[in-house]
Amino acid sequence: MLRPKLLFTSLAALALGACAPQDRQAATSAALAKGVILPGYARWADADRQLAASALAFCEGREDLTQARADLLAAQQAWAALQPLLVGPLAEGNRAWSVQFWPDKKNLVGRQVEQLLASGTPIDLDSLAKASVVIQGLSAYEYILYDSQPEVANSARKARYCPLLMAVGQRQQALAAEILASWNEHGGMLMQLSEFPNERYADAHEAIADLLRAQVTALDTLKKKLGAPMGRFSNGIPQPYQAEAWRSDASLASLRASLSAANRLWRGADGQGIKALLGKNHHDLAGRVDAAYTAALGQLQGEQGLAQLLASTEGQARLNVLYDSLNIVHRLHEGELARALGIQLGFNANDGD
Amino acid sequence: MALARRLVAALSLFGVPTRPRVALLLSARDDVDGRHYAVGYHLNGRQAFAIEVPQRCHAVAEHPNQPVALFVARRPGTHCYLLDLQRGRLLQTLQARPHRHFYGHAVAHRGGEWFYTTENDTREPGRGLLGIYRFDGQQLRYHSEVPTHGIGPHELAWMPDGETLVVANGGIRTEAESRADMNLDAMQASLVLMRRNGTLVSKETLSQPMNSIRHLAVGGDGTVVACQQYMGSAQDTAELLAIKRPGNAFKAFPVAPEQLRGMAHYTASVALHDRLRLVALTAPRANRLFIWGLDSGLLRLQAYVPDCAGVAAVAEGFVASSGQGRCRHYDCRGPDIKVAPLALPSAFWDNHLYSRVG
Repeated sequence: MLRPKLLFTSLAALALGACAPQDRQAATSAALAKGVILPGYARWADADRQLAASALAFCEGREDLTQARADLLAAQQAWAALQPLLVGPLAEGNRAWSVQFWPDKKNLVGRQVEQLLASGTPIDLDSLAKASVVIQGLSAYEYILYDSQPEVANSARKARYCPLLMAVGQRQQALAAEILASWNEHGGMLMQLSEFPNERYADAHEAIADLLRAQVTALDTLKKKLGAPMGRFSNGIPQPYQAEAWRSDASLASLRASLSAANRLWRGADGQGIKALLGKNHHDLAGRVDAAYTAALGQLQGEQGLAQLLASTEGQARLNVLYDSLNIVHRLHEGELARALGIQLGFNANDGD
Repeated sequence: MALARRLVAALSLFGVPTRPRVALLLSARDDVDGRHYAVGYHLNGRQAFAIEVPQRCHAVAEHPNQPVALFVARRPGTHCYLLDLQRGRLLQTLQARPHRHFYGHAVAHRGGEWFYTTENDTREPGRGLLGIYRFDGQQLRYHSEVPTHGIGPHELAWMPDGETLVVANGGIRTEAESRADMNLDAMQASLVLMRRNGTLVSKETLSQPMNSIRHLAVGGDGTVVACQQYMGSAQDTAELLAIKRPGNAFKAFPVAPEQLRGMAHYTASVALHDRLRLVALTAPRANRLFIWGLDSGLLRLQAYVPDCAGVAAVAEGFVASSGQGRCRHYDCRGPDIKVAPLALPSAFWDNHLYSRVG
């Protein structure tokens, strides 16, 4: 893509001068970019490279369905772990939709996969890149491995679904590689989160604010991903098919991966996270955020999947406790933490004027 | 003004140092505690005034030849604040009449005697009205009202003749004291040209009924650009920027689908740079400022600005404000646009920004 050039002039920035809190924020932003965020993108690119290889091996009969599903799970988890780290190119232009399509209230994923296959259109990487985002990503991959009837391991079914499965694997691999490269390139996100001012961030405070906003958005989305199947938005009637990754019953595993990544952003690698930006006078708040993460992650320990928990009253009660603990994490970030860091989360973007 | 200029020139002759004339930015702004202000800041960061006002404001109408401006409350506000820009003083709080509220925008006639506001008739919710007020003795007095020939009018602007108004009828019906939409299944947005006495000149629509025409800019040649907020499905692609070139029909401006998708169906304000022939658009949900060549339709810039809010043309290009971060200056004179952060207070700027000289 032709990218219009933007030159950064630092005259005005120099006049503003640097002060201690800015330096600390710059150091924290740089440390998070290098120690938490970039490794998250690298793991995602690795998982998608493995996914593309796995699709090929499965379709050539060198790999069984169990292994194919395990490789998908790894890609789903790597993607889930990116959710609180969605700043920069992947957060823009609805690119995330082509990785995963959620919510999918009308089963667009299943319907569009079947429509495409019924149309007889030859499927490869190029034609998939031009197709609807709904079927370009992990949701379509999951549909093929779990939901296509009968069993995809059957050779006739394999012949039908494999071109799409392989194309999705390649598409995800290419997308992840492209995004990772754009993070690492000169003037890319890694640099923009590390050296200030730059063409994206006028100062380090803007970078920290961007990170906190991504984290708060992800935490809010986690509540929706859990609340929707629980029936919190539909008169309390459980809606198991509204869950993320319901076909593979990986919803809670994804949730745990996302929440763990949010926790890493909070704590930082080697203690250089958002938490370190809170002064001594916010010692109590830091303790409460720590405790909230510990409590919510503790609720996610256990072997049961979401479908099983939704099926019993006792399971639903456990999900309610989990939801409440997630809510505490979200509210602390959105309210007290944002205020303590002097970050404005939303002003004009949602006001409709 | 002319006298002031001569005085400055005379002082300079005698070697008295005078302050260089720096553009003055006008906008509505909040503080961290949620208090509302009408503010004026010089481009160099110097505060001219910050007057606390009871209702959050949106747009500003400047008097054509006096240092006076009207700050208009956002919908469904019932106040307009008339300010003396030199002394930084509130001259008047204009109260909406019964069964009326303001929609956030106003303009002053070139003669300086009349101000026009977009208003809602809350007894017939959404019926768009142009409120007409006489400016006399540093006060505004209600004179009359005429329909805007549409529902839910928002921004309005003068055509180059200074007598014809262009009005963005957003098409969304709302009630008194409410921002909730009532008619998303039957929206009627329109771009209306009308005389200031209310006579309809023309009325045009865009192809998507759920696309609310909200904000406008008019070039010296009569080119009108409008930016939209789309109320339909998240997966649709909407024409969020549209243009009416002189003598032509109102139609979509050629924006790449990739950019449209990123805007999340929401644009905040639009500005034209007459001399450089550029159009600038802010998209707060995309955290983006966009600049295109007005004639070529080519994208010159898409820059990250967190919660990008207001945009105004200044001598060298544009200034953009932010609801969440720093304001930025874009020098658009060369082949590559240069950005510099401004020494203005960070965040809480409302969606419209105005620049005046001196």
